[in-house]
Amino acid sequence: MIGFLDKRIGLKVGYYLLITYFSYLMILITIQYIPLELNVAFLKIKQEEIQLKHYQIAFFTHVYTSIIVHLAGITQFSGYLRKKFTALHRYLGFIYVVGVLFFASPSGLVMGYYANGGLIAQISFSVLAVLWFYFTLVATIAAKKKDWKTHQKHMLRSYALTLSAVTLRIFKWVISNTLELPPMDTYQVVSIAGWVVNLLVVEWYIRRFQRHRFRTSG
Amino acid sequence: MNKISIILLILITVAGCGNPIKNEEAKVVVEPGTAVTEKTQKAKSESSEIKTKATKTPVDKNDLYGYYVGYFEQDVEKEKDKKYLKNDIGINWNKENKINISIDEIQDTIVIGHSVVAGNDRPFKGTIVKSVSQKDGSDVYTFSVREPGDDRYDGEFNFRIENGRMIGKWEAYKNINIKKRKYNLEKTKFEYNPKIMLQRGSWYADWTNVSEEEITEDYGNGEFETYIEREFASSSPIIFSMNASSKLLDKDAVSNLTKGDLIIIRNTIYARHGYSFRNLPLRVFFDAQDWYIPVHADIRSDFTDIEKTNIELLLAYEEYASNYYDSYGR
Repeated sequence: MIGFLDKRIGLKVGYYLLITYFSYLMILITIQYIPLELNVAFLKIKQEEIQLKHYQIAFFTHVYTSIIVHLAGITQFSGYLRKKFTALHRYLGFIYVVGVLFFASPSGLVMGYYANGGLIAQISFSVLAVLWFYFTLVATIAAKKKDWKTHQKHMLRSYALTLSAVTLRIFKWVISNTLELPPMDTYQVVSIAGWVVNLLVVEWYIRRFQRHRFRTSG
Repeated sequence: MNKISIILLILITVAGCGNPIKNEEAKVVVEPGTAVTEKTQKAKSESSEIKTKATKTPVDKNDLYGYYVGYFEQDVEKEKDKKYLKNDIGINWNKENKINISIDEIQDTIVIGHSVVAGNDRPFKGTIVKSVSQKDGSDVYTFSVREPGDDRYDGEFNFRIENGRMIGKWEAYKNINIKKRKYNLEKTKFEYNPKIMLQRGSWYADWTNVSEEEITEDYGNGEFETYIEREFASSSPIIFSMNASSKLLDKDAVSNLTKGDLIIIRNTIYARHGYSFRNLPLRVFFDAQDWYIPVHADIRSDFTDIEKTNIELLLAYEEYASNYYDSYGR
């Protein structure tokens, strides 16, 4: 029992350290697009698409809202904050849900349609956007119905997909520094691995830990 | 817990060096002489000037006009006196560049010309003396010409032209690293050919392994320039088949190319136009191509529309690859 708790504390500490560092990186990446410019960073290789008005809207909507959604979600799984500062949890949750459902996910779907890396990447990113929307929506409806179990499970899945922005880039960094695959081959691999791995990990987590939590608290 | 902290530590240490999301230091080499400009008219190229003048001169002198091309070798007493540039993985460069010595005009005993080597295009002026070979009775022309002297690497050429070859020596005015050079050059015609492709050569394989080196440049506008090169680390055989001069490239064609591929495919456009490279790895690489002749230090107005479009596309991907390929961000 003690060992089990240790593991949970370890996971928590690890989670907060990692997420802080990678949030910092994601902020750095977002800052590249401020002020709004059409010929920087990722857009250098998106010159055809960025000429399309709807792609412009989708891209900048995605860039600016995804970082907010990412940050809003960081502390949402803390039982302590949820119990002691319920209003904060709801407020951040509202930002997260509105951000994902109305901005980040729909814009992600548009970008997925124009994704680099061919059909594989296009399908992968589109499925990601749809699943992200679905999990978030189900979790929100569950919260309205006070079905906390479903709410928590689906928010875990939703946030796992939010973090695909982080893991995709970790995979990319690892592949380009070890296997040194050509850029678009790398991109195809990470377009899938970037979120599928997250989903597998979170399913494992739900089975491993949440069952225990609901048994004791529920 | 321990495992997680270790992974975390590794991630932070490794990714934390410099800007983790972008290689800020990465640069894409675009030499001033190759910048794509909208201006299409520069002063009409020298070669056409030469042609018009050439018609007015006697036939035997006309035969002398043109480009003489070959390696500008170190002139040393003993082999061991030769200077080499060695990088950290043991590749030697013998500090010998391809030179193009051009005879542009002859009036009586006065000769005017220029030489192009390592991105340096320098005029010279001097005298010509005609004699007859003792061996086979053919004409021998002996030249003594001088560069203006306002460039650090100016000097004096002494050579003879005999049966289409230019053989001679050069000595710098100033006390530079390699003061004496010799050469045995072949008369060569230059013609822009958009179809010409790279040959597979031994030099290439060597330079692909150069991952990083610091080079003190021996040429340049009187200054020693230091380059940090991280160039041909990742080229693939596609550089022998993709032609950016004759075919309009699209996004699909270039998006999966590595940085090394992009650099070489773009710079092959310049090489086809006879651009004389300042950048050392590029120069060594293209000098080794039999067809390559350094003709111009400035080719800004020579690009075709296809090339302009392709250069722009390749540069965008090159910049992206330099900044983001192996970093966290994109």
